[in-house]
Amino acid sequence: MTDGTIAIGRLIRSSTAGFVFACRVPEPEVPLFGAFVKAPAQRAQSEVFGLIYDIAFTDDMLVRQVAAAPDLPESYIQDQRVNRQIPIEVSVLAVGYRSNGGSLNYGLPPQPPITLDRISQCDDAEVAEFTERFDYLQIVLNSPHAPADELIAASLRRAVDTCPPDERGRFLRNAGKELARLLSRDLARLENLLRRIRP
Amino acid sequence: MPHMALDLSQLIRQIDALSENASKRQADQAARLPLAQATLDAIAADPEATRQRAADVAHRFRWAGAIPTDEPINAVYPLPAHPARASIVAADGSQIHPDRHGLALYYLINIGSIVFRHGAEEAPACSSSAEVFFEDEDLYENESLISGEKINAERDARELGELARLGASESGAAPTVTLLDNGLLLFFSLQEQDRKAKDKAIANYLARMDQLKASGAALAGVVDRPRAANIIRLLHLATLDERELDQDHLRGTGRFQHMVDTALFGALQPGERSALFVNAAPDNLEYYKPRGHTVRFFYLNAGRPGKGSLLRIEVPEWVAQDRARLDLVHAAIVEQCRFTDGFPYVLMRAHELAVVTMDERRAFDELVMGALVRRGFTPGVSQKQQGKEWTGSGKRRFP
Repeated sequence: MTDGTIAIGRLIRSSTAGFVFACRVPEPEVPLFGAFVKAPAQRAQSEVFGLIYDIAFTDDMLVRQVAAAPDLPESYIQDQRVNRQIPIEVSVLAVGYRSNGGSLNYGLPPQPPITLDRISQCDDAEVAEFTERFDYLQIVLNSPHAPADELIAASLRRAVDTCPPDERGRFLRNAGKELARLLSRDLARLENLLRRIRP
Repeated sequence: MPHMALDLSQLIRQIDALSENASKRQADQAARLPLAQATLDAIAADPEATRQRAADVAHRFRWAGAIPTDEPINAVYPLPAHPARASIVAADGSQIHPDRHGLALYYLINIGSIVFRHGAEEAPACSSSAEVFFEDEDLYENESLISGEKINAERDARELGELARLGASESGAAPTVTLLDNGLLLFFSLQEQDRKAKDKAIANYLARMDQLKASGAALAGVVDRPRAANIIRLLHLATLDERELDQDHLRGTGRFQHMVDTALFGALQPGERSALFVNAAPDNLEYYKPRGHTVRFFYLNAGRPGKGSLLRIEVPEWVAQDRARLDLVHAAIVEQCRFTDGFPYVLMRAHELAVVTMDERRAFDELVMGALVRRGFTPGVSQKQQGKEWTGSGKRRFP
């Protein structure tokens, strides 16, 4: 723990476009699809911010075999969940970074985090700061891997929770305006997205 | 078509012959099975004479047969009830043998274990512990590098030691069965000439067996797809007359040549086991018996209706002669096989916890390399090994 935040996993592979970290059995609240997370990069000189866009449980032949049993006792279930060394893989889309404690930059980081770096959840203040501007929405829309519309809706729902109650409507209207600008040539998609984030 | 070292096109005709041969062999053995079965029933009719003769032969000759116990030879025992709460412990080991072509001389033993608390509805307790051996006295015996056989014997002793440790901590709380993923007799090839080393290895192994017995837990070795022919040899013995009792005749299996014990127990229904027999192997009688650990065995159908799975289960005499413990072993193994198609779940998991993968081995070698470099060595693998690493990947084979 370098900055008071609690690590939720460690990085297993990365590129400037994003990274994948591994964690054990998830808690009910972490990790969540659409959550903002951060990882150190450039030997802790910078922080990369990202959005969780996929949480995957992998299988193998043993888990497939016991999965087919109709009356599997709890010990087998707990063994597969708690002990088997098959980490849950969490994929993150990089959407911004901060260098040397300076201001936030939206876009891909100059260098990705590296193997086994600690990934932590962004706190409310960080999420509020990151979503003061909506520049990251374009990166999400352009991502070839992430389910962009779902991810935008989930991230905005997470961000709106950090706003004071009387600011929430305005926050979502501003997000809607930015989406309207970005999706002006795809009205059907825009309409669908706006419906998802309507206050 | 890339150039491959194994030219499959050359082998196709041989594969054809191989499969024809296998089906002929199967038909031939099936044809001899009724005779084998009839012989089994015949000797079962006179159990005392059969036992006497087998014990006598085992005493006088090197004979890898079976000696009947007080259980009727052709008896079938149904599946006993499983206790609501029992602890099933398994341990398995793996090793990295010393590599003359490697960076440094060492060998490594990794032991994985699992404690599965049946009926406790909690995650089993798993552990792996590795040890690396590099001192001269570990690596050399009489100026030559330690043999793979001795490393394997050390691994087997450590598996038993781990079972003894876990058995002692579990058996107070619930009936406890400890399982090994092989037979209970330490394996030594006939080539093993070094009598003193063999004595030492078996003494070490039996000391752990003593601890395990004292722990209060039961012990069983599980052999999947057993190819043993101890009972087949007993049948062969029944066909010999007194003048034929010599080492030459006892080496073979006569009319039952190439048959295996499991052929005799195809009628066992899921959950049922055969009678117990004493393994007449010379090592068993010479080393294990005087220490109270004579190894006995039975065959068990641990499968399900429609998909049988015949396992050979080996138990020491202190389990075999205690009906409650024997029933516990019987029931626990069948229960453990319920979700994994005829092989105990805990043994699969213990193997998984023990196995050293190629990636892990490579990572370990890198650590060794780093440590050597820090001490001013410039280690390197032999050019032969380097060559193997360069050419061993299928990707690097070009037309």
